[in-house]
Order: sequence, then C-alpha cells, then structure tokens
Amino acid sequence: MKYSGKSKAQVVLLLLPGLLVFAVFTLYPIVKLFVMSFLQWDFSHALEHPFAGLSNYMAVLGDKYFRTAFVNSLVYTAVTVPGQMILGFLVALLLNKVSHLKITYRVLYYLPVITSWVVASLIFRYVFNTEGMLNYVLVNVLHLSSANIHWLDTRWGGMWVAMLLGIWKGIGWNMVVFLAALQTVPQDLYEAADMDGAGAWQRLIHVTLPSIRGTILFALVMLTIGGFNVYTSIEMITGGGPAHQTDVILTWMYYKAFSTGEFGYAAALSFIVTIVLAVLASLQFKLMQQKEV
Amino acid sequence: MKRSVLQQVICHVLLIAGLFIVVLPMLYMVSTSLKPNGALYQFPPKFLPSPDEITLENYAYVLGAGKFYINFLNSVFVSVISVVLAALIASALAFVIARFRFPGRRALFMFIVLTMIIPGLTLIVPQYQLAVKLHLINKLSGLIPFYVAWTIPYSTFMIKGFIDGIPKDLDEAIYMDGGSVFTVFTHVAIPLAKPGIASVSIFNFLTCWEEFPWANTVINDNMKRTMPIAISGFFGRHQFTQWGYVFALSVISLLPVLIIFICCQKFFVSGLTTGSVKG
Repeated sequence: MKYSGKSKAQVVLLLLPGLLVFAVFTLYPIVKLFVMSFLQWDFSHALEHPFAGLSNYMAVLGDKYFRTAFVNSLVYTAVTVPGQMILGFLVALLLNKVSHLKITYRVLYYLPVITSWVVASLIFRYVFNTEGMLNYVLVNVLHLSSANIHWLDTRWGGMWVAMLLGIWKGIGWNMVVFLAALQTVPQDLYEAADMDGAGAWQRLIHVTLPSIRGTILFALVMLTIGGFNVYTSIEMITGGGPAHQTDVILTWMYYKAFSTGEFGYAAALSFIVTIVLAVLASLQFKLMQQKEV
Repeated sequence: MKRSVLQQVICHVLLIAGLFIVVLPMLYMVSTSLKPNGALYQFPPKFLPSPDEITLENYAYVLGAGKFYINFLNSVFVSVISVVLAALIASALAFVIARFRFPGRRALFMFIVLTMIIPGLTLIVPQYQLAVKLHLINKLSGLIPFYVAWTIPYSTFMIKGFIDGIPKDLDEAIYMDGGSVFTVFTHVAIPLAKPGIASVSIFNFLTCWEEFPWANTVINDNMKRTMPIAISGFFGRHQFTQWGYVFALSVISLLPVLIIFICCQKFFVSGLTTGSVKG
C-alpha cells in the first residue's frame, strides 16, 4: 500500500512524542552513561573529567564490595525466583481445583503484590525488629531461642529477611499467571492420562508442566530481571549494612554515586550490570523459543 | 463424588492456611496503625490492640497536624498525569509500529524491548544530571517526564499486542471512506485496544504511585514529597521510629490502589496474562 504525503505526515506526528521522550530521557542517558564509564568523574574531578580508559571497569571488577554485592544479588535471585514460582504455582493448582470463593482467594493472595515496596519493607522491618513480634513469639511463647535474635545485624540474616519479603510479595503474581496457564491446558490430555492410569503426581509431571512450559519460562525471565532490580527492600530493611555486607548491585551503585560521588565508577558498574542482564535475558528468550518448537 | 467433596475440603484448608501467612503481615500493619503510639513499645507486644485501646490518633495526626494529605495529593497529581501521558504516547507508538513499515521500525522495537530489560535504576546517574540541566530537580512536575519515559516501553509492547489482534479490514474500510491515519487511530485502534490500554494504565499507576528511588533522589522539599518518600521519612534507621504513624500513612496510601484493584479485577488479570499464556 502506498501512502500519501498527508498520511506520512500523520504517521510522523504520531511517532514524534514517543521518539522525543525516548531520545531525551532514555537514549541520551544511555549514551551519557557509556561515556561517563570511561571518564574520571568524582568529587576531585568535579569540573574536568579526564579520560580514564578502562580504569573504572577495573576498579569495579577488583572491588571486594562489588563482589559481595554481586553475590548477594545472585543469591537473592536464585532464592526468590524459584521460591515464589513454586509457592505461586501451588496456590494456582489449589485454586484451579476449588469451585467456591475463587475470586476472594485471588484478591487476598494478591494483596502483597499491590502493596508498595516501601510499605512492605517497613512491615517486615517491624516484624523482624530485635524487640519485635517475631522474637517475642520465638523467645517467650515458643521458647525456641533463649535470647532475642538480631536478624538484621548479620549478612545472611538481613539477606534472608529481604528474600522472605521478595518471596512473600511475589506469590500473588505467580498465582495469577499460572492460574491463567492452567486453565488453557486441554482437558482431554488429563482424561487420556486418567485412562492410562496416571496418578496425580504423574499427571503433574507429564501433562501439566509440559503444557505450561511457555508460561514457566516467561515467569523465569520476568522474575530474573526483577531479582536483579531489587533495591528498595534492601535500602529500607538493612540499608546495605552492616558494613555493606547486605548491599546488592543497585544499592551499592547508588551508594557509590550519591554518597561517595564516584560517578565514573557507578557508570561502569551500571554498564556491567546491563550487559550481564541483557545476556541472561537473551539466553532465556532463546531457551523459550527452542522449547516452543 | 465423596472423594471430590473431600478434595474440595482439603484444598480449602490448604488455601486458608497459606492465606494466613500471606495476609498476617498486612493485618499486623492495620492493627499497629490502630494502637496508641505509647503502646507500640510495650512488653509483651500484642498482635491486636485491646478493644479499649483502639484509637484513630495516628490517622488524625497524619491527616491533620502532619499535613500528609499534601503528599497524598502530590502522588495523585504525578501518577494521574504520568499515566495519561504514557497511555497516549504509547498507544500512538504501538499503533504506528503495528500498522506501518518505516525505516528504523525494527531498531525502534528492539530499543523498546532492550529498555524493558535494563534495570531502570542503572540510568539514575545520567538521568540525575539531565534533571539538573533541565531544572527538573525538586519539582513535582519534574518527576513526570521520567515516569513517562520508564513506563512507555512496556506499555507500547503490550498495546501493540492488542492492536496486532485488530483485523486490518477495519483500517481499510476507513481509508476507503476517505478517512486519514488519525481517523483510523482514534476510531479503530484506540476504541478496540481499550482493554489493553486500561490494563497497562493500571500497572503504570501502581508503578508511579509506589516509585521510591527516583523521587527520593530528586525531591528534597517535604511539601513536594510523594507518598512513598513521606512514609519512609518517618522511619529512622538509627533513631526512634513512630510505627503508628508509619502504618497509618501506609494504610492510607494503599487505599486508592486497593479500590482500583477491586474495581478493575478483569483488567488486572488480562494485563498480567497477555503474553504469558502462549506456546
């Protein structure tokens, strides 16, 4: 189809606002970030930014704090992604079976998802306070511990609280996504499995899971990206402490940029993260396409 | 038949047990917001306030003397304008990408997908400098262009999916009648992609409503803070935190989201599941 001049002008007009926003607020910052990552840009070089070659990248990769933060992000993702997927899937399986109160359950299980990260983090912070409710129950009611536990004063204590929060907050999303997928599984596959005398477990392994593998991979990609995006919960619950032991990639990047003013370092760090995530996501997308054939 | 009744009962018991764990922290938030501030550090701590203890003093403070309704209105202002702008811009982009071939179309689409993958916060340093240059620091309206820029990639991607599902014959009919590209956009694409635009907008509203790191970085003025920043402002990591105020304000900030969520159930589900249930 050929377009008239007027049509072309209208197409351009429709594209223009979006392109403008992208160019100014996304593309320019990306280019700027790339340039900054090669410059010496910190408090002692506030006005002039000499070329620094790869030194920012070297500084990031050689930094033990970065390595701690990177490992924390990896662990956070490796724990919370399967954790919330499995629990969300179980809830979806149960919901798919019940004939009453479906919507009520769905709304209630979804509540943590719509609760903001700030609010959810503060609730967990309050529950896990050293003088908080949980310690009271463990020490004085159940007598499981002889003294109040300082959850947030150690690396893995703080990380576990943040990871529990991540799982708690993600169950509802996985439930909705998996419930929709379960409803698309053809009923006759189950009937055929029943004829073959398959038990509940075999039906799950041989019928349900293969039928929804597209959804499983979709959730995996989205949640992996989400896992590396974790920022607010760590910031609110531990603030990265003690001594940066619970920093994740983004809280460490933010600290370097806005607390110590090392913009060049922060830029190089951002670029490394972006590349890691882009590779990871494209691998997962590839996997998804292969499995669909 | 008997077996299925038993199965129903077991499912309900398990679901309720799970619900107990999922909802408990939310209930604790509400119950804490109803306790007098002095009771928050009492020992032993109580999950529920005793009936004669229940008070609205935390709510009275945050809405009255604390003037936190200003922060609430700030959040409404920023979120609503950002959502409307994002819906318009993303619909136009999605329509053009779905219906027209033009040079750079593939590159534009790749760019959109890429920006969905990069964590938004990684761009915070150059975006901060940009905000300084454009005099958008410490301004409520300065948040809007960034929120729009963050939400349009996902929105465009989703709305394009909906427009792809609209038969092209409808476009052709309009063109035959002498209609323009604009007419097709406003009379075919927007009306028929409405469910998609609605569900995307609900998610965008949630995103803007709860956005924390960017607003926390660029807004310093108390009166210009959005709700998440106001809530976090109560929380002193090293000093005394007034949990009653924290959670009263938290409950208030949750109400609009809850109302939208309950009223727009079907858009929520359709928005979540488009793209997830394929293959």
